Parts: sequence; C-alpha cells; structure tokens
Amino acid sequence: MEDLIYELNDVHYSYLGKFPALCGITIKIRAGEKIAIIGANGSGKSTLLNMLDGLIFPSKGVIKAFGKEINEEGFRDEHFSRYFRRKVGLVFQNADVQLFCPTVKEDIIFGPLHLGVEEKKINERLNELVEMLGIKHLLDRSPHQLSVGEKRKVAIASTLAIDPEVLLLDEPTAGLDPLTIRHIMDFFMQATVAHKTIIIATHDLHFIEEISDIIYVFSPEKNIVRRGEALEILHDTALLEKNNLIHVHAHRHKDTVHIHPHQHLHHNHEK
Amino acid sequence: MGALSFFKESVFADEYALQKGLLQSIDPRIKTITFLLFLVSVLLTKNIFVLLALYALCLLLTYCSNICPRFFLKRTWIFIPLFSLFIAVPALFSVFTPGDALLSVKIGGISIVITKQGLLGALLFVVRVTTAVSFVVLLSITTKHFELLRVLRVFRIPQIFVMTLGMCYRYLYLVVELVENTYRAIKSRVGTGIHYKKGQTIVAWNIALLWQRSYRLNEQVYNAMLSRGYTGEVRLLHDGNIKRRDWLWLSCVATLFIVMLYLTVSGKM
Repeated sequence: MEDLIYELNDVHYSYLGKFPALCGITIKIRAGEKIAIIGANGSGKSTLLNMLDGLIFPSKGVIKAFGKEINEEGFRDEHFSRYFRRKVGLVFQNADVQLFCPTVKEDIIFGPLHLGVEEKKINERLNELVEMLGIKHLLDRSPHQLSVGEKRKVAIASTLAIDPEVLLLDEPTAGLDPLTIRHIMDFFMQATVAHKTIIIATHDLHFIEEISDIIYVFSPEKNIVRRGEALEILHDTALLEKNNLIHVHAHRHKDTVHIHPHQHLHHNHEK
Repeated sequence: MGALSFFKESVFADEYALQKGLLQSIDPRIKTITFLLFLVSVLLTKNIFVLLALYALCLLLTYCSNICPRFFLKRTWIFIPLFSLFIAVPALFSVFTPGDALLSVKIGGISIVITKQGLLGALLFVVRVTTAVSFVVLLSITTKHFELLRVLRVFRIPQIFVMTLGMCYRYLYLVVELVENTYRAIKSRVGTGIHYKKGQTIVAWNIALLWQRSYRLNEQVYNAMLSRGYTGEVRLLHDGNIKRRDWLWLSCVATLFIVMLYLTVSGKM
C-alpha cells in the first residue's frame, strides 16, 4: 500500500530487558489517519510513541516506517535519519524535557535549524506558529518562566516548526486547565494541522471523539485489546471499565445517591 | 530554604534585564567587552580618586538603566565584606603595613598600631573591590543570562560548550525546584526538629534521588534533541547585527580606557 506509513508486526519491548512495556503490538497506520491510543497509566502508550518516533527499537518483532524497517542501524544512515526526522514529530508528555534551550524562540527553531531548513523559511514558520498559538509575547522568555499551558503550546510549536507529516502527541492535555485544553484541541482541528497524520496517546476521553477516527485500546497487559471507530469504542462501557479508563462513580443530589460509570464523553457537545 | 530562594533570585531573575534602559539597549557582546575594559581600568589604577570616579560612573549607569539604587547597593554590598574584609582589616595594622602611626591602642599590654599607609592601602583595596563588584553586578542584572552565555561565542568558545552551558542553566532551575519541593515534603511530614544524624541520612537520600532524576532527565532530553534532528553538531541562527549606537558606546568606553591607560603608564595618575 502506497499510503501506508507505519506497519508494526508483533512488536515487543522491555525496559532493561526485564520490565515489559509492549507485548505483541500489530498495527497498520495510513497517511492522514487520526488515531487515538487510549489506555491506563503504564499501559505502554508513551513507549509506543517513542518507538514510532524512532527513539527506541523493538526487542522482538518488526516496525516499518515509510516502507523501510526502522532500527538502530538504519538511523546511522544520515540521509534516512534526516528524512525520517523531517517526516515525524513528537510532542513529549513532559514539556520540560522538550524545551531545553535558553529561550522559547531558540526552542521553536531548534528542529528546522538542525534539519537543514533555510533561515528565511524558518523565520516564516516561526512567525506563523507563534501567531496561531498566541505565543508571540513569549519568544524571548526562558521556558522555566512559563506556565504549564504556555510550555505545552511552545512544545507543540517546536514540533510543528519541523512541519512533519506525522504528528505524535503524548498526553497533550495532561495537567492543563479546561480553557487551554480547548485552545489546543481547536488548534489541532485547524486546516494547517488537520491534513497531517495524527497519533495521540491519552487516557483522557473528553476530546478524542472529535480529534480521532480510529481508537486503539491498550490493556494493563501492554497489548491492544480492541481497535475500532471512536463512537463504537467510547460507548462500550464494559471495555473501558475493564481497562481502567472509566470508573464507577457515586455522587449525591440532595438526598439521592447516584452510582454510574464516569467517563465525561459528551461534554464537548454541551451547549 | 532562604539560601535556595536567594540563589534562585540571584541566578534566574531577569526583572531588570527586561526593562528599558541605557545598558539594556546595548548589544550584549559590545556591553561585555566594554565592561571588561572598565574592569581592567579598575585593576590598573592606583589612584583612589580615579577609582571613586569610576564607581560614580557605575552608579550613574545604574541610574540611566532604570535600576532601583537600593536594590543595586544591597546586591553589591552583600559581596564586598566577603571579598575584602579578611584581607583589608589586617592590612590596617603596623604588623602587616609598617609606616606612620595614626592610632595606637593597648590591649592586654600589647600595643596595636594602625598606620596611615595601612589605612590608605585598605581603603584603596575596598574601593577597588567595590567598584569591580559593582560593574560585574551591573552587567549581570542588565543582561539576560542566556545572552551572557551567548557572548562566550565572541571569545571563540566552541558552540557545543556554550550550548551545554545554556542547557545547564535551563535545567539548574528545575533541579533547584526539585530540591525545594523535596525539602517542603520532608518538612510537612517530619517538621524541622530532626536529629542531625537522621538529617544526614535524609540529605544523602536526597542526593541519590537527585542524581537518579537528573540522570533520567538527561536521557529524556537527549531523546527530545534527537527527535528534532540533532546529530551531534550544533547549529545556530545568525546573531543580530550590531547597531550604530553600540559602536558609539564602544568608542566612548575605549577612548576613556586608552586615556586612563596612558595616564597610568606615564605616571601622571
């Protein structure tokens, strides 16, 4: 298939060779797809994104990206490494890890600068992104002076400055207030970003219906237990409950105590 | 905690560097070079009045850069005793600086004499330290810290070294915060009245924990760099151009320096 971007076949990965993080993952991802990977903490979502970004490699099994098997050996080839890095961008879960430069501006331009994009183009991208994300006033600030939401926006800008075809997002809404989450989600639905292949790892079910077409559910056993369309998965409460994605919730209305599964599915449609 | 807060405030505060003022508007590279010329002048001159004039110039620059005089004096005078007290005080006495007696005190049958030469020498030393420290503090508070690091490139320091220093500065804040939070967590659980032996154990645990965390952070940051195309070679965007006013400032300071150097060498000052 020409539009096949990733092909993972029975991929396993373990940390230090003894702590399993991924157990038998088989996935095919096509260009333009919007995919959500949902699972509880420690189910292997971040490990998978790191692998899709070519930062770690399978202990067992095969991962192919853009038709070529990716492994440590392959990344020693400078041409392939540069080609791959231009095509794939990862927004890390911890923005403090991703923002390592002394200023916001330097952080945003780090990627394109190191991938050989010409200066004029870099400045154009920089101006476009800071306008879109509303972070122009932060350019000369040091990342440590920013709020969590601002750091997240800068981290997103620093990845998008590469203009990747594939955007990997690791828990992009974790720890953010509702308004910032809304801004970030609206941003991902804008035309400039919407045509990209987006793979988002999260356990927050608030927004995935509007941002993803396909959902993969990860189990605590670090494998995929279900693949399906967003609505179908989100309405399978038994599946979500079994995999720690929703919980039975009790609350009181005057004298009556309600007990029901708690999942916040339709909040985004509320008028 | 007080020491940590002072450290954070001294190292990371950019409050004055972000303000508009004379020194803030000058290119950091030119500013650093001119301040080095000021420091050399301070070190070369042996005339206390010239030193006082340089100190007055420093205070004038502080005023022109919209820096609160109280803040500036507090910041500089904290360091003065640290640098000068232990050297300047013994120099007052005839044991170290023989000369004309100015004041003589008898303590327990031993005569302690303060000499005129000793007093002048100590005074010259204190004024020199004060002026030098003031210039250094003025440079550091009117320049963003990352810009100061970037200035190292002017002196042909390898880019990888400058970048590493920049990252150290960036993550030092994170580590300081980590220490602060850990200390608060300990305080909330056990209070401050810990036996010193237990305290030592806690400090040792914290050092180990901090090392572990920074080691992990190091790996994650490196991955983040790789992810955005880093291959071991540092690339930087072209630095901003030096403007006419920067050259004008450099010319004024250089002229002052040359005149002072000439007067010092020719023995007229």
